[in-house]
Amino acid sequence: MSVVNGVRYGEKDFSWLDFDHDRCVRCGICVDMCPMDVLHFGEHGYPYMRYRDDCWYCDVCTFVCPRQAITLTDVPYLIR
Amino acid sequence: MYHVKQADIVIIGSGAAGTMSAIYAHRVDPKLKVVVLDKSKMDSSGGAGRGMDALNTVALPPYSQPEDVVELLTKVTEGILDQKVAHRFGEICPRMVADLEQIMGRGKGDLFPVDADGNYKLMYLQPINKPLLLPMDGEEMKRALAHAVRQTGAEILERTPALRIITEGGKVCGVLAMNIRTGHYYYIKTKAVCLTTGAAGRMGLASSGYLAGTYEFPGCSGDGYAMAYEAGAELVNMECFQANTLLKDHQGPSCGYVAAPRGAYTINPWNERTWSHGYSSGDSKMGAWKKFAEGKGPIYLKMDHLPEEMIQIIEKIQWGNERTSRGLFHKGRKQDYRQAHSVELAFAEEIGVCGGHSSSGVLSDVQGATNVPGLYVAGDVDGGLPQSYLGGALAMGGLIGEEAAHFAGGVAEPPQRSGLKAWLRQEAQAIEEPLRREGGLPTSLVEYKARTRVQYYLKPPKNPAFMEKAAWWMERIRQEDLPRIQAVDFHDLLKVQEIKSILTVGEMMARASLFRDESRWGYQHWRADLPAKSPEWDRTWVVIKQGADGRMEASKRLAPEYEWDYPTAMEYAYPELKFDTGPMFEKGPEWKNPAGDPWMKAHLDDQGMSTPRRFMPKVED
Repeated sequence: MSVVNGVRYGEKDFSWLDFDHDRCVRCGICVDMCPMDVLHFGEHGYPYMRYRDDCWYCDVCTFVCPRQAITLTDVPYLIR
Repeated sequence: MYHVKQADIVIIGSGAAGTMSAIYAHRVDPKLKVVVLDKSKMDSSGGAGRGMDALNTVALPPYSQPEDVVELLTKVTEGILDQKVAHRFGEICPRMVADLEQIMGRGKGDLFPVDADGNYKLMYLQPINKPLLLPMDGEEMKRALAHAVRQTGAEILERTPALRIITEGGKVCGVLAMNIRTGHYYYIKTKAVCLTTGAAGRMGLASSGYLAGTYEFPGCSGDGYAMAYEAGAELVNMECFQANTLLKDHQGPSCGYVAAPRGAYTINPWNERTWSHGYSSGDSKMGAWKKFAEGKGPIYLKMDHLPEEMIQIIEKIQWGNERTSRGLFHKGRKQDYRQAHSVELAFAEEIGVCGGHSSSGVLSDVQGATNVPGLYVAGDVDGGLPQSYLGGALAMGGLIGEEAAHFAGGVAEPPQRSGLKAWLRQEAQAIEEPLRREGGLPTSLVEYKARTRVQYYLKPPKNPAFMEKAAWWMERIRQEDLPRIQAVDFHDLLKVQEIKSILTVGEMMARASLFRDESRWGYQHWRADLPAKSPEWDRTWVVIKQGADGRMEASKRLAPEYEWDYPTAMEYAYPELKFDTGPMFEKGPEWKNPAGDPWMKAHLDDQGMSTPRRFMPKVED
């Protein structure tokens, strides 16, 4: 679950990062490298946007993923 | 859990400046114990976390000399600087550039362009007739710098923001920090601190309303400004606001410094240029303001006149470096670099302060030393070296690493604080108060309120009434909202600390703007009530510091005598704000109401301030 303004969201709700669970090996590099501490391990150890609205859409996570499992599908809703 | 550590140097913030501080301190003395703190992750933190495309201002002979940096900075600061600091930066540029190539493992001509003779090939950007911009293919710069820091053996505490710089007898003696994933506290006794925390870039909220939609890295919330201030440091140029022209809503660089040197420029829908050059100084900002004030916005980045090859070069740089999501953003908005009125820009959407892009920060001397013994600053938090961008952060970051190493080698161990564990517990209790609060204000709501007030009241053109209102709001939020704020976890608790920094910096911006009773730096400190430069303020800083009573104080300080005779003004004029709104409705002689209101007075006498409850919904039995 992620928490935004006190509201709890599911791991995939309103996320602009797509995590391909077929490719992801749960190595945690994206969780380690996210500069804004947005990404954390969620259900079954897969990464998700826990602090979604802290995302700077910097693209670091997609760049450092060794399995190309992450896609920045859009920029955040309020700026798109 | 509380951890007590001992260090010779603590580096707060491991962006471009902080990483270089660690590398250079190690070179001076590999035996020194260096602790690096970062609220983020060293490999990806800061404005250059996803790379950088240029060193915007550097002196690299034979194309440019240190004196050219002095000339530029003297002009764009309109004479409010210590020229010796600018010259020192220019002198150490070649060393910094060579070191960066070595650290990144990139040969000459690969990381930076060179000419046929092997000289670094600079481009023109700034409003002087000297080339000072060095393009860079620096996507992996931060990861390379982080690797080099790890090789020094420094202890690196990531996700661990510094919360306080502790002094004893006016000298630096320790740093308090907290890990935002574990909630562990660290007290690090130290002889010296290199403060490299970046800009106060999470200030005025852009109209998108997205809190992390900032130009600067959102972690740069002015913590360094606030911590230095509370430790007794002096800050300057806090009235010289950063107000950039950016991609509308994305808030990424437009990027004038990529596209402008390659032939692009800014236009409005009538194809009128906003200014003669694309450098982000106060004069060009006046040009952008003018277009909007005349109702002639929005403005766009014009590139359609460039050859297809150049457009593709600009696309490769803009979409593959620094803010790489620009490509995705353009696609979503159907913006095309091949169309004239397509890439929309916004002006002054987020008012903030920054040393590297503007001139605001902790006052430092030619060694990067502040007035607090043991405290050194570099990069965007540094007010001693204005407008030096990434090049300044790297070069001066390295310099303060060396200086702090020399300083730490020459002083005794910091004094032992008595009752340290008890003090730590007490501090932690106070810091964690929002974690224990139930039904409080969410951090995002308080941040939203603070930053909308910053943007509304501080945005130029300024006047004393707006500045007083801004200061009032900062104090009101501090007094009324902070005691009610609630944090859900340690990640969220950092937001509370960041909001405190935003409020402190917002007050500094207001108070410094009130104190400098003139206008200067074009749009950046435009007082509508005093729309001209005053000779009384030539070569004079506004110094902000904490007074003995804990209140913010502003004072005048003459900057050191000039050693080089360069122009101290940019080419622009403050406009006269006299808009003709035509004749207003003219009231005729019959347009007259009685002085009293006996009908309402009767109601007031009868009812007092209560409202009669005449038609009320019935409650069903």
